[in-house]
Amino acid sequence: MTEPKDFVAGVGSDIRKSQKRVLFVTRRTSAQVKVSDEEQVQTFPEGLLRIALAIEILAIALVLISLFFNAPLEGIADPTNTPNPAKAPWYFLGLQEMLHYFPPVVAGVLIPTVLVVALVVIPYFNVNIEADGLFLKNRRRRLSIFYVAALGFSLFLWFFDVYVALVPTLIVAAFMLIAAFSSPHSSSRSRRYLASKPVSWWVMTWFLFELIVLTIVGTFFRGPGWSWVLPWRG
Amino acid sequence: MKSMKARLISFSRALVRDPIRTFGMVSFLLLVALAIAPAKDHFSEWRHYQQQYLRLIHDRGDAVTLQRHFQGGIRQIWLPDLGVVDRCQSCHTGLDEASLVDVSTQPFRRHPPIPHRLDEFGCVVCHRGQGAATTVAEAHHSTLAREEPLLPARYIEASCGQCHHVALPGTPKLNEGRELLARYGCVRCHSIKLPDSSTMTATDQPPPLTHIGDKTSREWIYAWLKDPASYAASATMPNFQLSDADARDISAFLIANSEPLPADIVPVAATKSSSAPDPAAGSSLYGESFCASCHAVQNAAGNLVGGDLGPELTRVGSKVKPEWLQAWLRDPRTYDSHTLMPRYRWTEPQLTLMNAYVQSKTDPDLMANVHLDPATSEQIAHGKALVTEYGCAVCHEIRGIQKPENFAPELSRIGSKPLAQLVFISGMQQTLPDYIAAKIHRPRAFGTALRMPQYTFSAEQVDALTTALLSYTDRSFTLPTRLQIPSPSIATYQPAGHAGKLMTELNCFACHRINGRGGDMAPDLTWEGTAVQRQWLDDFLKNPNTLRPALIRRMPKFNLSDSDRAVLTDYFMTVYQTADIDRDSMPLSGYSTALVEQGRQLFYSKYSCQSCHMVNAAQDKGYIGPPLTQVGSRLTAPWIFHWLKNPQALRPGTIEPNQNMSDEDAGALTAFLMAQKTSPTREAKR
Amino acid sequence: MPDGKGGYFERLERTRVWRSVFRSGTGSSTLHRALAIQQNLFLHLFSTKVRRRMLGFRATWYLGALTLGTFFILVITGILLMLYYHPSVPQAYADVKDLKFVVSSGMFLRNLHRWSAHAMVLLVFAHMFRVFYRGAYRPPREFNWVIGVILLLITLLLSYTGYLLPWDQLAFWAITVGSNISSAVPVFGDKARFLMLGGHQVNANALLRFYVLHCVILPLAAVLFVAVHMWRIRKDGGLYVRQSEPARESEPQPEVPATDNKEVLVGKR
Repeated sequence: MTEPKDFVAGVGSDIRKSQKRVLFVTRRTSAQVKVSDEEQVQTFPEGLLRIALAIEILAIALVLISLFFNAPLEGIADPTNTPNPAKAPWYFLGLQEMLHYFPPVVAGVLIPTVLVVALVVIPYFNVNIEADGLFLKNRRRRLSIFYVAALGFSLFLWFFDVYVALVPTLIVAAFMLIAAFSSPHSSSRSRRYLASKPVSWWVMTWFLFELIVLTIVGTFFRGPGWSWVLPWRG
Repeated sequence: MKSMKARLISFSRALVRDPIRTFGMVSFLLLVALAIAPAKDHFSEWRHYQQQYLRLIHDRGDAVTLQRHFQGGIRQIWLPDLGVVDRCQSCHTGLDEASLVDVSTQPFRRHPPIPHRLDEFGCVVCHRGQGAATTVAEAHHSTLAREEPLLPARYIEASCGQCHHVALPGTPKLNEGRELLARYGCVRCHSIKLPDSSTMTATDQPPPLTHIGDKTSREWIYAWLKDPASYAASATMPNFQLSDADARDISAFLIANSEPLPADIVPVAATKSSSAPDPAAGSSLYGESFCASCHAVQNAAGNLVGGDLGPELTRVGSKVKPEWLQAWLRDPRTYDSHTLMPRYRWTEPQLTLMNAYVQSKTDPDLMANVHLDPATSEQIAHGKALVTEYGCAVCHEIRGIQKPENFAPELSRIGSKPLAQLVFISGMQQTLPDYIAAKIHRPRAFGTALRMPQYTFSAEQVDALTTALLSYTDRSFTLPTRLQIPSPSIATYQPAGHAGKLMTELNCFACHRINGRGGDMAPDLTWEGTAVQRQWLDDFLKNPNTLRPALIRRMPKFNLSDSDRAVLTDYFMTVYQTADIDRDSMPLSGYSTALVEQGRQLFYSKYSCQSCHMVNAAQDKGYIGPPLTQVGSRLTAPWIFHWLKNPQALRPGTIEPNQNMSDEDAGALTAFLMAQKTSPTREAKR
Repeated sequence: MPDGKGGYFERLERTRVWRSVFRSGTGSSTLHRALAIQQNLFLHLFSTKVRRRMLGFRATWYLGALTLGTFFILVITGILLMLYYHPSVPQAYADVKDLKFVVSSGMFLRNLHRWSAHAMVLLVFAHMFRVFYRGAYRPPREFNWVIGVILLLITLLLSYTGYLLPWDQLAFWAITVGSNISSAVPVFGDKARFLMLGGHQVNANALLRFYVLHCVILPLAAVLFVAVHMWRIRKDGGLYVRQSEPARESEPQPEVPATDNKEVLVGKR
């Protein structure tokens, strides 16, 4: 083997008439360079036009909504008159729901910090890059880790009475269990689908599910004193 | 049909045939959608009303004037120092148009005449509501924090009361409500601070209970506690809706807690005279002393007759012990130093007569069903706890129990209380006035554990009280200085010396006002020394024959000794003078006949004084003003002269009209009136 | 039709002024179209070409573009709203009331701003999850994912700071609840809260701070990061293509023609 060159020089011309592209691909370049024959179109006007179209359609929708639904406006701010319940904006209601169960330092600081850090580091861990189904490799080890994690977490939530978060956790865990006992060769299509999902997919799905459930609960099902109310009853 | 569909499809295909065309189409749609917003603006409510208004005035005779006055667009009154941005006139376009008096449809009705200008005060200061809003629903009914719905018109006088803390002639309901707040002692539990940082004071006279055992029986206390109205229909004491056991224990505690009066004040042995006093003589003494000026008694028809300054006496015989009553009648101040009851100088036989007469007013039914076993110490202890719990000591002086501070919620800003802070009972209108009215009408409906007692207010009184309470708003505390009306300071005037002591004993201030202190039942005496002649005053104190015989409330006869009377008369003649009028500038008599005759002409023809006053009792029919048959013996000439010139300057608020008399007319009339002396025949009678 | 040399637009395009502004020239050749992107400060954030299948709705759901669209709407309506708004107590609330009651289309402006803000938060979340499930965060696009997370936080902060500005009960207590959480941070929590609110509770100072954040600092940050975000799409190899999804063998799609050879297109269809 000769010493590999530090770079490969190539000339690509996937365009019919116009410019040539010169690439320097070093070993340190993380970008994958693949010569693709895939059909490409000019961003201008093809792409921009579609973007503009999409934005316009959204704008029309928003304009129509704004014509018929008025933004809420309560009475003037009154520090002496606390509404019950005092709710944060809807996108923070998941956190506020957590605040109901855990001390502020956990729900208000720890959870959001962990969430942001977790989101940031997603692409930097190979476990998240992995695209194979969760239980297809190291099945026994992963299964036991899954059991311990799911049970531990459920018990933790149960111990703190966080049933609102417990239910989605259990549902996701149940699906993971189905995935664990399915394989890419399962007869059912949905089981094949579940079996093919990597661990990052499961964690994210669980997070999304919790986010939606907690936000909906916080928005519609919480009344005075953060008590459970049913929105369709008065 | 099918071709229609096909055509539609082909048409829509043609529209989105290529991306550019689609882009154009969608852009067009976006523009259309954006154009709807201003269009929607165009159909706003206030524009609709302005168009209606223009149609309304179009066919009227005064259309040209009205159209010239009309200004389109949003109209607003902006008063930064009041926090007022009122756009009410955007819809209520004709508020200022006097000629729209016949229009009765809202929002175009003209505003009834008021003493204030609209552009000086705006609308929401009086009517509440949200002035900034330009939609009916938001302007009239918004209940958001610090936004109030419109004040119902029946309570509108409350708005006057935000600035005016003194009774106005135009606000009878508000005045009555405020008087009730004071008279029923509401403000004893619920303190009401006024913007000038004074506090409303109660005018009721809850008696001290320190010596109650000497005054009355435990059975009476029990019956009274159970239902004060059964003893006296006019009782200001409310019904605490006590259980039998609670009433029993409180009565036990009050009697046990009572401190006996020293024996020299209340002789322990009742001096029952062997011969029953003559009831007719008692009645006559009662009448002569004008007890009815202050005390009411229920007549056979069930109506109260008499004044309300003192307690009702219909059933007083069932209440008071004779020996206590004797002592009380002799000198009320030894029992209650704050009483309004004057000290009559009755002789011992007169006292006995009066005592017997008052004692005869009994009601056997009152305590017929009250049978109390001797109190146990537990009952007494429980009674003490109840007395503390119900805050009896807020009003009554009770030995060993401290007067609680802030016993009930302060009501200084009750009129601005946000709806969010109110707890309504089911089935009631959720508005502040309704809440206040319901609280007054039936307090315990809001929870049986509440301590607020039940009063016996009529619907009108509840309305008046609600109006008064609604006048205590946030706004009254945040008024700009230009609108603040200084409230009269509470006068603490006290006359000096022996005369002062006498006036205290006689409680002159209960009825008369002097230098701003005192009641308004009888004439203001501040300038009495300038107004009347010495001889008349002396005679009057000796034997007060009232000036207005039609009145029930009259000046009582106090039986003053000659020396006391002389002291009082001298004090009046020297102290109660006005510097503006020289008492001796005009003679008491000796006016020429011609002048008197000229005055007579003026009296009967030019000014028609006889329509209100009498000079010749046989001939004149005027009953509205005081009779003037003997005015020449009563008043001084300069007083009459100045009175005729400008009555309101001497007595603000008097209904005597100011006739803008010339000096000549006033002089002639004075001469005529000064000629109206006590007739010799009457003099002889006396 | 003026003298057969194309419409007014074409004549306009040939003017010296036009050429001085848009240097890419007038033609509709691929070169001109590429230049149109490359030579425009704003458009050059995009790559000049894009894979055709990535233009389909299924590929991206246009979530990124739609988020950008809500941002545009918010900037425009926001600037208009700023004309009527004073960040002071209690004038802020009165101004919002005036917007509602007397400003022409004021209510519409406020509605549009409010609903677009909610839509933007929703779209940002949707965009993030969509990118995740597509796997588009994978190398070499790690850093763009991080920028995306930063943009998510900026969006949340923009919405949160804007929430206080109407100065109504809803605003006041939502911000109070939110800011109370920050005091739970150990050691410097209260200090952070003090810094955020300019005081110990939500008051006029907090309103002013939130106003400045909402109208100046955060929008600038958002613009900056959006620019980086879009530029990185190009630098990281264009929109992410899933290997598992082979390019659909194309039924030939016409490129968008320039207006002068419209007939060709019509003919092809």
